[in-house]
Amino acid sequence: MRLLWSLCRKCLLFSASLLILSLAVFYAARLAPGDPLASYYGDRVERMSADERARAEERLGLHEPIHTQYLRWLGGALKGEFGISFKYKTDVLDVISGRLVNTLLLGGGSLLLIFLLALPLGVFCVRFEDRWPDRLLCRLGAAVSCVPEFWLSLALILLFSVTLRLFPSSGAGQGTLDRLWHLVLPLSAVTAGHLWYAVFLVRGRLLEEVRMEYVLLAKSKGLSKACILFRHCLRNILPSYLSLMAVFAPHILGGTYVVEMVFSYPGLGALSYESARYRDYNLLMLLCILTGGAVMLFGMLAQVLGELLDPRLKREGDSHG
Amino acid sequence: MTDVLLDVRGLSKSYRLPGGGSVEALRDVSFQLRRGEILGLVGESGSGKSSALRCIMGLLRPDEGTILYQGVNVWDSRQKRRNRELLQSSRQIVFQDSASCLNPRMNVAQLIAEPLAVHRKKLPYQQAVSLLSAVGLDAACLKRFPGELSGGQRQRVAIARALSAKPALLAADEPIAALDVSIQAQILNLFRRLQHDRGFSILFVAHDLAVVRWLCHRTAVLCRGRLVELAPTEALFRAPGHPYTKALLSAIPIPDPRRERARMPISFDPEDFQWDGTLREAEPEHFVLC
Amino acid sequence: MGNLLEIRNLSVSFDTPEGEIQAVRNVSFALREGEILAIVGESGCGKSVLCKSILKLLPDIARIKQGQILLENTDITQYRDADMRRLRGRVFSMVLQDPMTALNPAMTIGAQIEEAVGVHQKTTRNARRDRMRELLTLVGLRETDAGRFPHHLSGGQRQRAVLAAALAGNPKILFADEPTTALDVTIQAQILDLLRDIQRKLHTAMILVSHDLGVVARAADRVAVMYAGKIVEIGAAEDIFCDPRHPYTWGLLQSLPAFASPDSPLYAIPGMPPSLIDPPPGDAFACRNPYALEIDYREEPPMFAVSPDHFAATWLLDPRAPSVTPPFCHD
Repeated sequence: MRLLWSLCRKCLLFSASLLILSLAVFYAARLAPGDPLASYYGDRVERMSADERARAEERLGLHEPIHTQYLRWLGGALKGEFGISFKYKTDVLDVISGRLVNTLLLGGGSLLLIFLLALPLGVFCVRFEDRWPDRLLCRLGAAVSCVPEFWLSLALILLFSVTLRLFPSSGAGQGTLDRLWHLVLPLSAVTAGHLWYAVFLVRGRLLEEVRMEYVLLAKSKGLSKACILFRHCLRNILPSYLSLMAVFAPHILGGTYVVEMVFSYPGLGALSYESARYRDYNLLMLLCILTGGAVMLFGMLAQVLGELLDPRLKREGDSHG
Repeated sequence: MTDVLLDVRGLSKSYRLPGGGSVEALRDVSFQLRRGEILGLVGESGSGKSSALRCIMGLLRPDEGTILYQGVNVWDSRQKRRNRELLQSSRQIVFQDSASCLNPRMNVAQLIAEPLAVHRKKLPYQQAVSLLSAVGLDAACLKRFPGELSGGQRQRVAIARALSAKPALLAADEPIAALDVSIQAQILNLFRRLQHDRGFSILFVAHDLAVVRWLCHRTAVLCRGRLVELAPTEALFRAPGHPYTKALLSAIPIPDPRRERARMPISFDPEDFQWDGTLREAEPEHFVLC
Repeated sequence: MGNLLEIRNLSVSFDTPEGEIQAVRNVSFALREGEILAIVGESGCGKSVLCKSILKLLPDIARIKQGQILLENTDITQYRDADMRRLRGRVFSMVLQDPMTALNPAMTIGAQIEEAVGVHQKTTRNARRDRMRELLTLVGLRETDAGRFPHHLSGGQRQRAVLAAALAGNPKILFADEPTTALDVTIQAQILDLLRDIQRKLHTAMILVSHDLGVVARAADRVAVMYAGKIVEIGAAEDIFCDPRHPYTWGLLQSLPAFASPDSPLYAIPGMPPSLIDPPPGDAFACRNPYALEIDYREEPPMFAVSPDHFAATWLLDPRAPSVTPPFCHD
């Protein structure tokens, strides 16, 4: 019963947040300077008369006051109709669907890589705390995480595409193998940009855990160092690690957008840049809703995971607090 | 009655738990603190003694009840605004862990002048030195920082800071619990001497009954957020009325192996007790919950 | 009774940027089979460091400068971590001050006790379970408590759970570092009586570290008083409490509020403990000692035997010293 109620509350909160987000983006986009007709009609806009413009605006529904436009958009969105893209002149859902896969591949892939790499690297650092392997990794990580992602991407292109000619520098490729081939460099850039931050967090949490008194006591029981590290400490940080990953997901999403631009990788990042630039209102709205929704969803996931996995946050009938 | 400094009536406070539900920290606690009196608030962890202190000192808003300090309702915003100076400078508090409540970046001179600085007053050098000597520190300490002092010295600085505003009420929340045995005695003597010389009232929160017996004029015993017994200290130790007080008294260890090993503590299970009673005066001045 | 553990001239130091902290200075004592030896002293006197150096659980900046640790006449001073691991749990075990932090918050207490059982006995899961239940009963918990997490238990119950885990390997020596300090007064006596009970039933020797003389009086057979990294007096509990010989022991006992009359000020030992980075020559307590002799400031007093079982390090016991009536007599 309690679970159901909290689920309902979360859903309500989620919808309300989405609504506020859509409202904010809608108004901000409409109020910002720029001509949406330019993306639909291209150069022809400049030669249009005032009369033609008015008719064009009416056709696209841009002549009405903003709040009417918003309500109309909202009505459509609830039915699953998000309008047409001004630039591509097709349904925005069609425009996005092709590119969504690319971004998911890039973002999901790097999230998975970070998830798989950060934990072992963090454990490795703690196992050799303050000895040379730990120090080396920490220095390396600090250096790499200081490099901006776009610069890192450029450096990778320069090294692996231009000089060594190992990997392609742009595009997404055709067919499974080719696609993977095209994915290598952008994936490395996104992963390298975010991995170290996660490793440092794991290392910090784990070190905190190792300093706890129960570790001393576990030692006095005769458990080996590795056993304590894996069975006690690692297990205790796993819940926070999972929620950490959920918090990380939106960051990685942001990272893919930047990297996509550099690699001209046809994903959502490049698309959202274009849509904002050309005032492609409907496309921009959908992208914002998608991105915002994903960010919020992952945030909630992080919270739920934390609650589910940490027995201290669970309540028991006979507990005395 | 002019000799009542602090009048606490029907104080109640509960805390919300993070996952829903609440826990009752204080329920209908009433007592008075007289001028020039040392009142001990005794109880185990979770008894509500620290919550009571915080409500009285204006650090924690009670759910119900009134706290009259020199006739001023501490939690009434209008009266509070009008009597700001009275409420702020004449009530001072000393905490258990002085290491964490003295700003490590301020030297002793700045620290002890702090309660006055709130009212844009200064502490003249001569007064600062005499204040320090009153708590048993020399003038050389003025330029030192909390990190350079020992635990006992820090607690002396905390007391000097509380005294600089010439308070009428000094609240002490387990002020000796973090100190060593030999230092505890020094600080306890200091409390008693200062109170005797300056005549302020002390609200002394402690869990160590031997300390309370030596220091306090009257003692209030709290259990599960309720005031279970309130009496002059000697009467309370001579003839405890409440089963919980009896259990507490029987738990005081005796530093003598022969007698200590023979001592049988009385057990008290709060689950078995009816908590809905009222405080009755069993003897003059001796109140027991029943 | 033979000596289970013998410490000879042990010195332990911490290397810090401020200098070498001599936490334990030339300490010798013996622990007999099945006895409870209490080590009493103020914070920073080296009592915890002494215990942890025997268990080799000190941080890396600490080192044993000199001395020997003999376990049943075997020198274990040079044992490395792998060797110690075989001893921990089976020979040595430990109970800490705060049972909340001493238990893994994310594991049920049953699982934690079972784990301790499994360290040294490679048996079936069922056998481990049985042993775990047996231990729970031994420390006075219910078998149904096994499935509960540390935060569901009260402070006293938690300390019992810690004790159960510590006893899993049938240790010969149990180190209890301030086992009742974090507990409420009404619970303290119960836990101390439990320790005594276990000592009687299982014949486990214990080293009880405490600053609280009341705790020591209840549980200890023998008492060692430590000051500034040294043992200044050691003897049977009755001797220490009723016939103390070292002025520091006098001071400690005198300053207890339990003995004070409400009408007079408490006795307080003047001054503060010395810095252990550069301890003073002679008797470290001399500058706080109203009975200090001139020699106390120059030369360190040896351990004088008061009786075959009672020793104190003070020049007052030298035959040439003027006789002093102890200020302390509580009968």
